[in-house]
Amino acid sequence: MGRLISVTLTRALLALLIVVALGPILWTVLGAFKELRDIVTPVPKLLFSPTLENFATILRNPTIRDGLLHSVIVVSASVIIGAALGIPAAYTLARHARNWGDDVQFFVLSLRFMPPVAIAIPFIVIYLDLGIYDTLFGLILVYLITTISTVIWLSVPAFERVPLNIEEAAAMEGCSPFEIFWRFALPVASPSLFGALVFTFVLVWNELLLALTLAAQNATLPVVAASITSLGKEVPWGVINAATVLLVVPPLVFIGLLMGLLNTSVQSGRK
Amino acid sequence: MKRKTFVTLSLVPAIGILASLALVSVAGAVWFALMNRTLRSSDYEFVGAYNFLRLLRDKRFFNALEISAIWEVVTVTGTLVLAVLLAVLIYETVKKPLWRNLICFAFLVPVLLPRVAAAFIWRFLYSPSLGLINYLCGLVGIGPVEFLADPSLALISVAIVDIWQWGLFFTVILLKLMETLPRDPIEAAMLDNARTWEIHAYVTLPMLKAPIISLALVKAVESLRSFDLIFVMTGGGPGTATETLDLYAYQMGINMGGRISYASAMSILLLIVTTVVFTIIWKAGKKWAA
Amino acid sequence: MKRTSLLLGTALCALAAQAQAQQTQAQEACKGAVPTLNVIGQGMPAVTALDAHLSEFNEKWDTEVKITLLGENERRAKARLDASTGAGSYQVLYIDEANLAEYVSADWIYPLADVVPESYDIADFRTDLSNVATVDGTQYFAPFVGGGDVMMVRTDLLEAAGLDVPSTLDELVEAVKVLDAADNGAHGWAARGQRGSGMNVWRWTPFFRAMGGEWLDGDMPAFNSEAGVEATELYTDLMSYGPPGVGTFNWSDAVEAFRGGQVAILIESDVFGPWMEDPSKSTVVGKVGYAPPPDPLPSAGWAHGWAVSKAGAADDCAKTIAGDFVGWATSKEMEQQRLEAGIASDIGRTSTLESEAYQSLVPAEYVEAMLATGPKTDLLIMKSPAWPEIGDTLGLALEEVFTGTRDDIAATLDEAAFFAEDSLMRLK
Repeated sequence: MGRLISVTLTRALLALLIVVALGPILWTVLGAFKELRDIVTPVPKLLFSPTLENFATILRNPTIRDGLLHSVIVVSASVIIGAALGIPAAYTLARHARNWGDDVQFFVLSLRFMPPVAIAIPFIVIYLDLGIYDTLFGLILVYLITTISTVIWLSVPAFERVPLNIEEAAAMEGCSPFEIFWRFALPVASPSLFGALVFTFVLVWNELLLALTLAAQNATLPVVAASITSLGKEVPWGVINAATVLLVVPPLVFIGLLMGLLNTSVQSGRK
Repeated sequence: MKRKTFVTLSLVPAIGILASLALVSVAGAVWFALMNRTLRSSDYEFVGAYNFLRLLRDKRFFNALEISAIWEVVTVTGTLVLAVLLAVLIYETVKKPLWRNLICFAFLVPVLLPRVAAAFIWRFLYSPSLGLINYLCGLVGIGPVEFLADPSLALISVAIVDIWQWGLFFTVILLKLMETLPRDPIEAAMLDNARTWEIHAYVTLPMLKAPIISLALVKAVESLRSFDLIFVMTGGGPGTATETLDLYAYQMGINMGGRISYASAMSILLLIVTTVVFTIIWKAGKKWAA
Repeated sequence: MKRTSLLLGTALCALAAQAQAQQTQAQEACKGAVPTLNVIGQGMPAVTALDAHLSEFNEKWDTEVKITLLGENERRAKARLDASTGAGSYQVLYIDEANLAEYVSADWIYPLADVVPESYDIADFRTDLSNVATVDGTQYFAPFVGGGDVMMVRTDLLEAAGLDVPSTLDELVEAVKVLDAADNGAHGWAARGQRGSGMNVWRWTPFFRAMGGEWLDGDMPAFNSEAGVEATELYTDLMSYGPPGVGTFNWSDAVEAFRGGQVAILIESDVFGPWMEDPSKSTVVGKVGYAPPPDPLPSAGWAHGWAVSKAGAADDCAKTIAGDFVGWATSKEMEQQRLEAGIASDIGRTSTLESEAYQSLVPAEYVEAMLATGPKTDLLIMKSPAWPEIGDTLGLALEEVFTGTRDDIAATLDEAAFFAEDSLMRLK
């Protein structure tokens, strides 16, 4: 009986926490359907006549489409390249570099200590000389600092936690280091790598300052979102809410797919 | 494939690209820091250490340094504490994979919001006269609270948004990590009749020490670049109560003065300070985790 | 063509025809020479309404106009970086009152008359806006939005309290106190408190000027004078009759608070006037009176517009097309088309203000207040390339006073002036 009460209590606590955590999101979704008059009131309104005008404003705006396309290209390219280069490097650091692996790992993290302003200024000058200012390639290149270093940093512990005996057994059977990595270490570590990849994705997906300073026509979504926050002199609260709701959908779909992929691979691995 | 070949092939491209990009940005910043360049004019000259010496006399710089340090501590600990508590709570109470995945999914939403948009939404939620939070406070007889206009509350109020975004996200990561733990030690502890919180405090979480330290450092690094959030919500105000270093560098370098040399010098100092501090933490953390 | 027929009607027929001929020549030479024309914009109605007409311009020059819309801060950062680094990705830059001095002193933009064809009648831009767009007698950008200040009062609350619309600063202070104390559900006053040269400093400046304050004494900053202290004291005092959080209000917070019925008196930029009359967004429709700011407060003039970038439009054809774009986008015809679409907030030309189409769209009292304010309107901020930096430091100091972080006003202003000295020295 006591156990039942405590379970119910923790459940209720959890439900409350989840509501608090997601409250702002729900409020945003609600606000996306409100007219400005219903948003700017001292007493919050739960009942109002919904409008789709905010979404229409967003969808009529061609920069959103361009921004989405640019973001997808830049983010997927930099994350994929980052993963392809970073994950094997992380494995090597975890397994084959006992003496200096830590230092390299830390060096990798230290690359992110500089404020983006300081990175942006030299890069503008260099990109102008190279003729890659305001290109998607330029953005991808500068984002590689973020993706490769973050992937390495977060993947090293993932590989360190792979039980050594699996790999030793494989080595006994004459597998090459690459085979051990590809066929044994990678599948075992993949659930933890998931977190690393999502994290990396989130970082570049939301990057504003470099995108703003290194690209002009090729602006990505954060820049577009920043531009929506002021239409003329007016702050269009409804439109901001609608834009927020719309802009969060593509990454959610991406992560949903990634999670689905992960779940199936984990299950098939367990068979 | 020989071991040596594998090590070389896997490390060289990644580290090579990183090192060259890093060299470009650091060398560029040092170069600018030794000049007196501004965006306004194309003339500039070598001024040696002038920018650094001026920084040492700049009260606003030291204020920003202090605010950055507080911001770091508050957001990193806040994020981790929230993530650990929520992850354990969900791990214990939600057992069905479907529900768990749904919660994870929902917890990912905040961090995926464009930061600028999230900042605007929270700014509105915090509004003393129009915001939902103050309305709720009013219902229980508090307020109106000037979350963003009160110098003593502003930094915490902005930090809550950061913790909200990252804490929920870290909850998901931690939960996924806990799911990968071997069951044996936990079951052994359960056989010993350990309480739930004891199992987590003494068994599961210690097993996750290393990844938690990594996450903490990564979060600490991300907290260094809180520019967009703070810029939208308070602009660094009231006064300089929420002006962190990257915000000050932006204000100086791009937004108002265009003093790119001064901003670069500031960044170099920040780079040095963070490298020293993080090295100490990292060494200590490694020792503790080992 | 519409433009041709209009021009034929004027007495300057011959001259215009000649200009037209020159333009046709340029058009033949440059048509198709610039595949895309990149423009920095901010989402003002005057900018967003262009979308519907762009194909006309694209066809004329066989080009594609791409307008990058940005928020105000991002727009300023982007335009400055693009011009100063020589990146030149944009042929047309969006300029405002706060950074014009900087752009001109750095030589980043062409004088307007050098690039915009005469047929667009530069002299027709509103004088108050042209003044803001002019440095040393040369106009640099084509304004399409701007204006001065207007005082907005809740006539219903004023009437209930038995007060007249204040016409002097003393009356204003008195009215604010009475209205705030009255049990009417509204606060007496609201004003911008958030730091920034275009934010709290912008609203504080009329008070400073009304007290006789001057920015500079010779080459030295002088805003820490007696006038500065008095202005800050009064401004801070008035804020105690404002809604909670007013110490960090931006213009949006202030205007929304008034529009939401929580504020009795507000002095703001006159473009916000028509906002009060929009029933889909305002709860105070029909309850608002408009008047010029009470004496001796001057009105703070501002303007936004487009200019042609030297870095972006270095070659002749880019310059020609960019200049023609600026002229075309801010032309009389374009403004009339906006009015036809019901957009009355962005007016850059005298001829538009005088047109019936405009006067039928806005309340007569608002137009009256605007016309009465006109002579009081001037660019009140410091005309210096260092202004963005000096203004920001001053804004920071003011915000500290407003939010109670600092209470020694004189010392706080002294500190800001000390910093400004350094910024001014760097100009040399």
